[in-house]
Amino acid sequence: MQEIKRRYVIPGDKIIEGNYKPLMNVVKSGNYLVSTRVGIAEAGKDGVKVIPLSGVYIPRVNDLVIGKIIDRSSLSWDVDINACFFAHLPAQDVFGRDFSPAKDDMGRQLSIGDLIIARIVSFDRTRDPMLTVQDKDLGKIPYGEFIKISPTRVPRLIGKRGSMIQTIEQATQTRVIIGQNGIVVVTGRDPDGLSLAAKAIRLVEEESHTTNLTQRVKALLNVQDPEDPEQPESVNASADIEPQTPQQQQQQPQEQQQQQEQQQQGQQPTSEPQPPQQQQGQQPTSEPQPPQQQGQKQKGQQQEEQQQQQNTSKSSSKEKHKIDNSEKSSSNNSNNDQKEKKQE
Amino acid sequence: MYSLKELTLLDENGKRSDGRGIDDLRPIKITVGVVKNADGSAFIEFGKNKIIVAVYGPREVHPKHMALPDRCVLRCRYHMSPFSTDTRKNPAPSRREVEISKVMRESLEPSLILSDYPRAVIDVFVEVLQADGGSRCAGINAASVALADAGINMRDLVSACAAGRIADNIVLDVNDLEDKEGDADMPVAYLPNLEQITLLQVDGKLTTAQFSECLNKAIDGCKLVYEIQKDALMKKYFGNELEVKEEV
Repeated sequence: MQEIKRRYVIPGDKIIEGNYKPLMNVVKSGNYLVSTRVGIAEAGKDGVKVIPLSGVYIPRVNDLVIGKIIDRSSLSWDVDINACFFAHLPAQDVFGRDFSPAKDDMGRQLSIGDLIIARIVSFDRTRDPMLTVQDKDLGKIPYGEFIKISPTRVPRLIGKRGSMIQTIEQATQTRVIIGQNGIVVVTGRDPDGLSLAAKAIRLVEEESHTTNLTQRVKALLNVQDPEDPEQPESVNASADIEPQTPQQQQQQPQEQQQQQEQQQQGQQPTSEPQPPQQQQGQQPTSEPQPPQQQGQKQKGQQQEEQQQQQNTSKSSSKEKHKIDNSEKSSSNNSNNDQKEKKQE
Repeated sequence: MYSLKELTLLDENGKRSDGRGIDDLRPIKITVGVVKNADGSAFIEFGKNKIIVAVYGPREVHPKHMALPDRCVLRCRYHMSPFSTDTRKNPAPSRREVEISKVMRESLEPSLILSDYPRAVIDVFVEVLQADGGSRCAGINAASVALADAGINMRDLVSACAAGRIADNIVLDVNDLEDKEGDADMPVAYLPNLEQITLLQVDGKLTTAQFSECLNKAIDGCKLVYEIQKDALMKKYFGNELEVKEEV
């Protein structure tokens, strides 16, 4: 199949003529495939799709979402997941199968206004989404910085194999929990790190469709890539020209101190919510093409990580495990997507 | 205000009361994403018309009995601000506003793929800040852009433009004065890529030949408007880039 150049489209734009398979946000109109959204059109061997740049969150089964408890009935909680429908979290899911509305006090576990991270177990055209928190790293989020971004920017914020979010986490010493519904919670001890992470997330949201975003984020976070001598001059220049604030100057020693502390502690306190790394694999394959440099950088990052892993065996082996899981889940998800499309 | 003695809708040089030729549109400017709280929004200046449109949704339907099991409900509200006309307009919905809300909804509905969002609702609020004739067309243009901005699946954008008859001449894009003093007025909404008409109204008398000429002229006007809508969306999302630059 002939590959076409990626291009910007708006609703009604003819993408390509011929017998191609419409994949995502594309409809057939006569002999043409027509875009239904504002976005970037791509045609590959599988078919034609449009990566949307705007839109609300439409729930999908197995998505990790961050929601807010808004109401409670005798058997379930209603959760606002930033979609067109409220989701339901059954009380049995939290209390276990022997839940009794007469005996158990639902308010003791989750009260109205609480934030939870949950997985969508079922959703279709006829029923509202059903959530579960019976999985590792799911449940109530005790504290953190709440950021709402457009759900269409989530794959970009995660990056290829979680590269973008790892960069932000490592540079700011924070934990970033991303819901597929566009809600992000950042946790960490350092207030400067929190604000810097929030700033980086905002930058990714605003400039998600632009090129060299990873390098701009790295410049903002003051991250240098030692194994990338062929960095473009413009980026180097901008990084050089950008005046360092005293906070930024102090940040690096602080980070080192924190790293040392963490190494001593071995693991982060269990009260702090762990970021659900599996979600990183859930990014659709619609991510804009990665530059080759980014790939090299990722290799560099992975090498660095491996070095760190040797030092902090417990926590880092966990991370590696998660990344492996995310890769597996990404391939599973893409297979599932294709199956769903076929069924449709 | 004008006096009837001075009034010439079309002079001997083919110039209209506001200096345009018979095939000229009024200047149009569309800005996308002006209402941050909305899922999609647009502001249009269509000559002296100033209209702001906000789109919310797809979202949960209230009251719930209005929800449809197989598709999304589209609700449209056209409203003229009290200060939008020469004399104060009563802010309560008038018969005219209720009718325009209905025709706007019906002109936008064919462009939307409503079956993608069952049991939900899309709300379109059209607020006329300043009116100068052709506000329903301008409202449709802005609403269509706002719907695209909200990321709702659409088959095509909807472009609208009016044509009319003044002094036995068919003219494009009639303004308030020509609408009131002219002989006929024909607002048309059109899907430019699908080449389908979604709104056709006529107020006044036209012969069969004049009707065809008027319709063709309105469609030509819609195609011109479409280019402006397209530019506005492209500018909002992609700046001045027209093609995706591959990362090196």
